[in-house]
Parts: sequence; structure tokens; C-alpha cells
Amino acid sequence: MLRIAVCVKAVPDPKEATRIKIDPVTRTLLRRDVPLVTNHLDRNAVEAAVQLKEELDAHVAVISMGPPPAETIVRECLALGADEGILLCDQAFGGADAFATAYSLAKGIEKMGGFDLVLCGMASSDSGTEWVGPKIGALLGIPVVTAVREIVERDGRSWKVKASLENGYRLVRVRLPALLTVTRELNTPRALSFSGIVSARKKEITEWGINDLGVQEEAVGLRGSPTITANLTIMNGKDSKRAVEMITGTREEAAERLVEKLAAAGML
Amino acid sequence: MIDLMFTEEQEMFRKAAREFAETSVAPHVAKMEETGRMSDELIRALGEAEMMALTIPEEYDGLGLGYTARLIALEEIGRVSAATALTLQVFALGVAPITMFGDEEQKKKYLPGLAKGERLATVGVTEATGGSDPKSIRTSYRKVGGDYVLTGRKCFITNSHIADTITILARGEENPDLFTCFIVESGVEGFKPAHEEHKMGMRGCNTGWLVLEDCRIPGENLLGEEGRGLRIAMSAIGEVGRAGMVGCALGLHTACLEASVKFAKERILYGEPISNLQMIQNKLAEMKIDLEAGRLLGYRATSMQDKGMRASNELAAAKYFTTEAAQKAAKMAVDIHGAYGCMEEYPVSRYLRDSFLVGASAGTSDIMKVIVARWALE
Amino acid sequence: MPMHDNMGARCGAVWVIAEQTDGRIRTGSLQLVGHARKLANQLGTCLEVVLLGGNLVGVIQPLFAAGADRVYLGNDPDLALYQPEIYTEMVVKLATEQEPEIMLVGSTSMGRELAPLVAARLQTGLTAHCIDLVLDENGILEQRVPAYGGLVSITCPDRRPQMATVARGVFPMPQLDEDSTGEVVPLDVPDEVPGRVQTLEVIREEPEGVPLEIASVIVAGGAGAGDLDGWCKIADLAKVLNAALGSTRPAVDEGWIGLETMIGQSGKVVSPELYIGVGLSGEMQHMVGITGAKVMVAINSDAKSPVFEQVDYGVVDDCRKFVPVLVEKIKEHRERALSRSSRSHGPTSI
Repeated sequence: MLRIAVCVKAVPDPKEATRIKIDPVTRTLLRRDVPLVTNHLDRNAVEAAVQLKEELDAHVAVISMGPPPAETIVRECLALGADEGILLCDQAFGGADAFATAYSLAKGIEKMGGFDLVLCGMASSDSGTEWVGPKIGALLGIPVVTAVREIVERDGRSWKVKASLENGYRLVRVRLPALLTVTRELNTPRALSFSGIVSARKKEITEWGINDLGVQEEAVGLRGSPTITANLTIMNGKDSKRAVEMITGTREEAAERLVEKLAAAGML
Repeated sequence: MIDLMFTEEQEMFRKAAREFAETSVAPHVAKMEETGRMSDELIRALGEAEMMALTIPEEYDGLGLGYTARLIALEEIGRVSAATALTLQVFALGVAPITMFGDEEQKKKYLPGLAKGERLATVGVTEATGGSDPKSIRTSYRKVGGDYVLTGRKCFITNSHIADTITILARGEENPDLFTCFIVESGVEGFKPAHEEHKMGMRGCNTGWLVLEDCRIPGENLLGEEGRGLRIAMSAIGEVGRAGMVGCALGLHTACLEASVKFAKERILYGEPISNLQMIQNKLAEMKIDLEAGRLLGYRATSMQDKGMRASNELAAAKYFTTEAAQKAAKMAVDIHGAYGCMEEYPVSRYLRDSFLVGASAGTSDIMKVIVARWALE
Repeated sequence: MPMHDNMGARCGAVWVIAEQTDGRIRTGSLQLVGHARKLANQLGTCLEVVLLGGNLVGVIQPLFAAGADRVYLGNDPDLALYQPEIYTEMVVKLATEQEPEIMLVGSTSMGRELAPLVAARLQTGLTAHCIDLVLDENGILEQRVPAYGGLVSITCPDRRPQMATVARGVFPMPQLDEDSTGEVVPLDVPDEVPGRVQTLEVIREEPEGVPLEIASVIVAGGAGAGDLDGWCKIADLAKVLNAALGSTRPAVDEGWIGLETMIGQSGKVVSPELYIGVGLSGEMQHMVGITGAKVMVAINSDAKSPVFEQVDYGVVDDCRKFVPVLVEKIKEHRERALSRSSRSHGPTSI
């Protein structure tokens, strides 16, 4: 049996992202009142796992780290076809950066027992980072392929995948157990269905805190995070009006200057 | 202590329905408005998304989810397309007489197909004499051997041309006081849909006439008992049809409010968004209050139903309130949009047209008041 | 000079993980080296570059020209393609020995995979896609990232190296000093790697049209195009920027382009990094379809057009005349950027 662990993240609904504020004291994001949704690319990861399950003898476990409301998205993944859910939920996990998050999730995956495949969405929509997946892989000591857009071939435990590059792809051979992060090209996630939701009634979600994982408080959450977010420049988000800079001069000069401006903004 | 919160599961139903509405219903809206026809593809999508299975018991391949889950689904679909919500709500209305009063054979024969969307249902009660006074119908039946022969005309029938499993109310040719319901399948001889209506709103929803001319159906298609037809039809309409219209109205109302809020925040007048103007805020507040109140009425009624209680009085109050409120909300939404509101490019013009149809379906506001007054005077 | 506590002679170096394509150092790597040079100067430490590849003879000079003091060079046929296992192993081993203070990686496909693998192994922090890197008064690297309508500064005060990936094109191309040289330290390819993951092949693909919804650059045209010919000029601009081409209702109504490209209230909602509106007046119906664009530009012949109240940069000109000039200037800029990486520009003055 192929044992698959899928890491999912509850993120603030991107459609309501403007309501998110940065706490000037704790310097973490205030996500209060903003509904949580499953990170979009994580839905592709769940879909990939469920498709594998439909084809092979596989068991799909979903693992997430987050506050109690994140249970909803774990339940949602069960409704989408995963078999069981794990929620890492503890005050101590709060404020974790990518490293501390990856550490906790890696510990969670280890505690879940053996696994053959770990799947993650390639990036999270809220922070835009792509680190948690590969870091979990590195901490678990298994090979990692990021940005997988197609599983080309499965020859027992030796898989061939296409990994997206800026201008093409890499053809990669990877031996299981492995961690893959996936892109939206990999599949079209199925819709949440009413019968799926009903079937999720019978599936279990287990909640683990730091004691269950046997990790030190210093190793997780804000305290276990090497990075600190500081010195926020909070731009005035209320005034959506941009201060226009008119580019003048002859046609040639104006074009030249516009190119300079765009280059300086990193847009060319 | 009463619990007025949705469960986690109900919130997930809402999410699923919203996702479905936004991805699978929304793309069809423009064409449906333009052609005045329900899309076959959308019907298939509704079936695949199990939207027809919600109210059908699990033992007949349905989901058996009850009235609250159904109201959630209708509200979310109505938010995107009131016409689609109306179509869907009437499928369930058509299923109700069979689940409520059908015998085991009838349930086995019809419900699994209806749950999958392979069969589509409706109810034929209303005639030219009106729907609010079913005792004045003229469609008649007579017994010929073991069969029944039906003759008459039904009008303003939602899903008239797309439904194939239809509960028809008729009265005895010999004893006109004997009202009886029959399941008529669209393929039978002597039955045909006629005259598709062109409505001012809910344009994508199919409405038309049904003509029965010496339409002979087998005896086993008699639904419930002979002479119990009025009760069957009224129970289905009172418990399922009205609840469905509450869903359509709530969805439409939500759409009106969302479009208005969006527009008011974006539209700049006197150098600031019009959402800063108290005149606009007043309208938004009224819309919001009515929506909140309407949802309380509607979901209270369905939660009673889910507990096995009858709620036809509560649903009459909810239907009156939510459909009237949706109409008011649609007008305010158009008003807030100013000239933009009159442009077909903005959805509020559609909302306004649709809002006039939520009142008329499944009993007008006046009839709802008759019921509520009777309830008050009890 | 501001210095980190335990710095002085023992302060680790500033590192850049460079990349090359077809025997040429990537422009982004040279820009990164240019900025890293400044950081190294401020810290009073040296700038070292790690470069891994398959056939690197005659490739590394631009790194010195851009300011590198030392290049750790892994030049081996086994390294010709990016191999995550070997690359990670080599960088981790070297970093463990050399203890760099800072390690910068470009936000490229490779960098985005390699950086987290290395950072996790080194148990250090990693900031994603920075748009600026400065040193604070204690010599700590402030890694600036845009987030939620503001700019946050991320630091990694206690662990080393301080690691960041850097967004494309945020630093200018440094002046290159062709005569500049430095030390080349050859790296051995580790004998034993598990071989559990292997890049077999890299396949290039010509990008087809970019879908609007996910495009990072969008050029949108409106009625100001005047006619189909004018419209084609706007399309040329989109092409040279590898941008998706969007439209307004009038452009669709004129039949210059299909409805599927319409942006706005009744069209698509987009959120590109860069939006350039050409010959359109900024009607609300169109503008509401653009959310969260980082930089917005408008080109319109009417100085009073409301579009100029909604963008960062405005040019008042007839778009049919201005756009072709702009296209040429963009091409020139691209060529200059390319040639800078291999040509001398006199002594560096950093």
C-alpha cells in the first residue's frame, strides 16, 4: 500500500486579503474575521493523492498545522477524498516561520508512521513562500522535487516527473519515499461535493500538540523560528489612489524614462 | 437555549454549493438570459453535483440531507442565478409528492433516477383558473379498466418542457369533489408540453403549459389515495415549494446586497466613494437588516422541518417576507447603481426582473398573508 | 563602519549562489553579486560566489568583474544539469566549513528549490523573494519583502548564514571591471550521493500566449488604438514584454480582439505585477477588474483622462505613435542588459 501524506495550509481567503492587517506589536499577521480556506495549490496536492488512491492501493492522510478553525479545512480535505486528518494545534506552534512550520510538520509526519510519498502545494497564497515543502523533505531526509506539473511514469518506487522551470521543465527521476510539491498544471482539483461532505462524517481528525509530538517548546512556533518579521512599513492601504508620476519629455525621452522606471521596479 | 448557528458541516455544504454556483452555474447565466432557455449542460452539471439528490432518501440513492441543506444550496445557487435556483427548487417540489406519499414501488421506480438527474420532476397543479384556488381546476380523470385517462390543461408550469416525471392534480369526471394526484411520464400518449412562456424575469427557467388529451396512464401511477390529491399537492407546495422560493429569494437578495456594496465602494462621487454617503448607507442597512431577518425566518422553518415538524405556516411567513424583501432589495440595488443599474451589462437589472417572479411562484404574497392571518387567528 | 558583534576578521563572507546558462553567467546572478559586493564592503568582509556546472572554462570572469573576491567552482560533467542532491550536498558541506555570514540566491526555478533544501539542512532562516537587502546598524541583514499593503523587513538575528532568495531584477547591473581577478577554489564532487533524485533532462519550451488570469505582465488596450493597425501596435508591446493582452469593452466591440480578453466588471479580474493601459480612459468598468497590480502605467493622449488618477506612471501621448517607440526602447534595454554581462565598462567604483 502506498502511504501518502498531504500537507495542507489554512490561508485567509485571498478574495478578502485586504482585510488582513499586520499587528504592530507581535509583528505577525492579524487574520481575525477573515475566513480560512484551503490554500489553492494544496487542493492540487490533495487531488493528486486522491487520484493515486483511486488508481492504486493507497492511504491518504492530510496534515495541517494551524489554529482550531483550521480543522475545517482538514475536514474539507476528508470530504475531497482523504482518509484521515491530523491537525497540529497548540498555542506553542503560533508565529512559526517556514522553518519552524516545516520542523513541526516533519515531526507530525514521522509520528504518523511510515509514508511513501509526501505531497505539498508548491506555494502558499498568503505568504507567497515555497519553503515549507522542500524543508520538510530536507528534515525528513528524503528526496525532494518542487514544482511538479506532471507524473510521467510510475515504475514501482521509481517515478519520473516533470518539474516546471521558468522556460520549460526538468525531467526528473525520483525514488520513493519522496516529497513532491505540485503546481496547478498537475490536475484540476475536484469540486467539494455534498456526498463527499457526508462521507467525511465517518472519518477521524486527530489533534496533536507539542507533547504528542515530543518536541521542545523552544523548537516550534515563534521561538523555534530563525527569522523575525520586523520594522513594518505599513503603507496606507485605505487610499487606493496611486500617486501618479507623469513622464514627460519628447516621445523618445519619455519612452526611455518609462523603460528606466520599469527596469528599476524590476518589471523588465 | 435555541441554537442559531450553522454546523461546521452546514458551512461546508454552503461552501460546496457556492463553489458549484460560481464555477458551474455562472458561466451559463448570460446565454440563459439571452435565449430564455435553461441550458442542458447546466442541467447535467446540477445532476453531477448531486443537487437533485439532496432531498431524496439515501435508500433511493439520494443524500437524505433534509430541508436546511437544501435551503443552503438554493440560496447559494440563487445568489448566482435565481432562474437556476427556481428550476432546481421545482425539481425537488416535483420529487416531494413521491417521497411523501408514493408507495414503495413508485419510490423504487422513480427516486433513484430523479436523484441522479436522469429524470427531472415537476408538479402540475395550476391551471388558467389560477394556482391559489386548486379546487377550481378543470383537469379531470376517469377510470378505464385498470388505467386512468386524464384530460385538461396546466399552465405556468415550471420545468414544463424539461421535466419527464410529473405529478398532476386532477378531479374525478364522475365525482368532481374527488381530487387525486397521478404520476405522468412525459412520453405517454396524449401528453405534451405546449406554449413556452416568455417571462420578464427568471428567463433561463423554463415555464409553459402541459396539455393532457385523453392521456392514459396505468393504475399504478395513482399517487397516494384517490381523493387525497389536494392534500398531496398542498403539502408538497407548502413544505417544499415555499421553502424553495425562500431559498431563491434569499440568494437573490444576497446578490443585490453584494452588488450594491461593491458598486458603492467603487463608485466615486464628490471625490469619495458613494458608500460614504448616508443616503446610500441607509439603503444598504435596510437591505442587510431584511436579509438577516429573512434568513432567520427561513432557516428557523427548515430546522423545524428537519426535526420532523410541519412548518407550512412559518414558511408562509418566511416566503412572504423574503420575497417581498428581495423585491425591495433589487429596486434599491438598481437605485444605488444609478444609470449603470439600467444597463444590461450590470447584473442588478437582471436581479430586478427576477425579483418580480419570486413573489408569484408557489403562492403570492397576498395568499401568504391569508395563511399567516389564519395562523394568527387560530 | 557599523559592524556585527562578533565580526571583524572573523565575520563570515557574503555568499552568492550564482547560476549560468549555456556558458554564460545569468544576468540576475551578476546583479546579485553587484549588490552583495556593497554588503560585503559594509561588513568589511569578502564576497564569495559558488558556481556549479558542467563546462565552466572561461565562464567565471564576469563574476570577478562584478565584484567577487573568490569563486568556489564546481566544474564537473555530473554538475552540468542542476542535481538537487549533489548541489545541496556541496553547498551545505562548504557552508558548514566556511560559515558564511550571508547567503543570497536568485529567485529562479533552481534557486527556489536549492535554497530551502540548504537552509533546512543548515537549520537557518530563509526569506523569500526579497525586493531589497540592507544592513541595519548592527550589521544584521534586513530582508525586505512586500506584504499586505506594506513592506516587511525580515531578519535572521541568531543563526547563520542569513539566507534570502532575491526577486528578479531588483538590483541594477553593476559596473563590470574586466581586469578584476580573484581566487578560484575548485570544489570536488562528492563521491557518494544516494542518487535518489536525478535530473535527467532539461527541456525548453517556447511560451505560448500567457493566460490573463495568471499573467504577471498585462498590456491592455482600448478605443484609443483607433483601428486594427493601432491595435496591432499594442499587441506588439504585449509580445515584447511577454505579456498577456487584455482589452476594454470598446476594443472588443470594435472587433479588434475577442471577448475572452476583456478585463473588468463584466470581463476578467486580473492581478498582474505590471499593468500597462494603452489608449483607454480608466473607466470604472475596466479598472475594477485590475486588483493588486504592483505597478500600473497608462498611456493616453488626454492629459485629463481619469486613468492617470489610478496609475503609478503616466505618459500623455498618442499611443499609436508612442507605443512603437516604447517597444524599440525595451528591446534596446534588453540588449544592453545582456551585453553588460560580458563587456567591460572601465574600473568599478563601488
